[in-house]
Amino acid sequence: MSHGSTPDRTIGATGISRVEGEGSLRIQVHDNQVTDVALEIFEPPRYFEALLVGRHFSEAPDITARICGICPVAYQMTACAAMEDVCGVNVSDQISALRRLLYCGEWIQSHALHVYLLHAPDFLGCADAVELAERDRRTVERGLDLKRTGNLIMATVGGRAVHPVNVRVGGFYRAPDREAVAALAEPLRRARDAALATVSWVSGFDFPDVTGEYRFVALHDPDRYAIDRGRPRSSDGLDVAPAEFADLVREEHVARSTALHARLNGVGHYLTGPLARFALNAAALPPLAAEAASGAGLTAPCRNPFQSIVVRAVELVFACDEALRLVEGYEPPEPPAFEVRARAGVGTGVTEAPRGLLFHQYEIDDDGIIRRARIVPPTSQNQLTIEDDLRRVAQGGLSLDDHALQWRCEQAVRNHDPCISCAAHFLDLSVVRT
Amino acid sequence: MTRSNAGAKVVVAGFGSTDRRDDGVGPLVAARAQSMTSATDIGPLGDPLDLLGQWNGVDLVIVVDAVRSGAPTGTVRVIEMDIESDHDPLQSDWAEFETRVTSTHGIGLAGVVRLARAVGQAPKRLIVVGVEGEAFGFGEGLSPGVERAVPEALRRVVELITEV
Repeated sequence: MSHGSTPDRTIGATGISRVEGEGSLRIQVHDNQVTDVALEIFEPPRYFEALLVGRHFSEAPDITARICGICPVAYQMTACAAMEDVCGVNVSDQISALRRLLYCGEWIQSHALHVYLLHAPDFLGCADAVELAERDRRTVERGLDLKRTGNLIMATVGGRAVHPVNVRVGGFYRAPDREAVAALAEPLRRARDAALATVSWVSGFDFPDVTGEYRFVALHDPDRYAIDRGRPRSSDGLDVAPAEFADLVREEHVARSTALHARLNGVGHYLTGPLARFALNAAALPPLAAEAASGAGLTAPCRNPFQSIVVRAVELVFACDEALRLVEGYEPPEPPAFEVRARAGVGTGVTEAPRGLLFHQYEIDDDGIIRRARIVPPTSQNQLTIEDDLRRVAQGGLSLDDHALQWRCEQAVRNHDPCISCAAHFLDLSVVRT
Repeated sequence: MTRSNAGAKVVVAGFGSTDRRDDGVGPLVAARAQSMTSATDIGPLGDPLDLLGQWNGVDLVIVVDAVRSGAPTGTVRVIEMDIESDHDPLQSDWAEFETRVTSTHGIGLAGVVRLARAVGQAPKRLIVVGVEGEAFGFGEGLSPGVERAVPEALRRVVELITEV
């Protein structure tokens, strides 16, 4: 049913499925113009930040890892980076490499989950991953194998596939054996092939013709595709140290949501995540991933949000390739962790979680007690841009019937893989035409 | 120490967050069950998708989770899913567990079971042990009613493990 001739329109829908976490989305259309878009998020308001105050600085990696079951490594790595910043510690290259390997594991499992089980069904007209598996079992098996390889890395390096327990400020409780790490090579070679097949698969999908005007923000590392360290950069020339970036990010409450909406001071909203990383760091991709991108017809920057699934697949190739490189060059760090002595001050950590930039900032005292904590997850930073996307996608799709428009809008949210459970707790979708 | 029958592979998975009061009962019971039996605790989990790949070839999976169904606080319910049949688990008696067990993520437990079946990776048996909770706000510590139900839930889990 077309609603093109109806001046006032209410679209009702119930629930964005296949988004990590839950929340709600409301779109209002008046006289064939999208008048309001609101991604409504109910965030545990600063619960974890409050929980951290009064705790010892060494507890931050484990406490913050509990914020998100999908990307606990991101929280651990970022907390460690912030605490090492405040205490003036630079870990060894071996520890740094092992952290990056662990982080690659999380990227692989998170991207495989999103690409295969949450996002691809949108493009193939499947209600969900189960229907996709019933239609194309081998493809879903490939995705599950990829995810399993990511989990295997996390189990080997982090001690557990879910909520790793081996990470501490200064390094690791225990360095994995050479043999255990070497055993990751063969699964990773298979995963790399599977990732290349993933790029071919998703690049053949039909993509709506949408172009977003994005201000991209990503970490930049001159030596490599940034994951675990770097300087925040933007597509309009920002290039700052992590602490300065934290100063520039202003979070504000809006009435409809308990989540904070982040803006860069003076320049407004921005987008982090795969599209941003690819836009700013494509030149740092290793040759195999760069060739996969070019074979898929991707050039940086990619501004079609629906093609984020292709960028994510390219990042899967990168993460598998990078993990294999780190496995082949593995030297057990000795000692596995640096001793970190507390000193009063403020420290900032910024890393690239699978779905975007994550930063932590802590103030601790001389006894190592946390006096102030600030955690800004990627979804909070992306939220205003996601709403902007929704406005554009909804306006362009008004000739669609309610069901198709709802589908398209859900897809527009999933393009950015929001992890509402980091930033919020609930997600029901309702699109309203009045 | 209690042991399951020799050779049987049993995993127990506590779902929930220890930062959400009674939601933490699943991980608590699962961890205690592991310490008393040969079952492997693969939790705490928040996303049923994390079960995939961890239950292949497993004889019995026990999911322990807080539930909210209107029953008196502390009520312990044990429901076995029929893995082998083709019926949609969402239509079965334990559909009511779906939203409780799924946490906040994209694919619920029933969906994950259907997905596992579709790719031939389902376990042989899956049993949900639910403990009726009442407090799910932020914070640590179980409500008194759920705290009192922990021994009963643990006893049921251990029995299930040893009967395999």
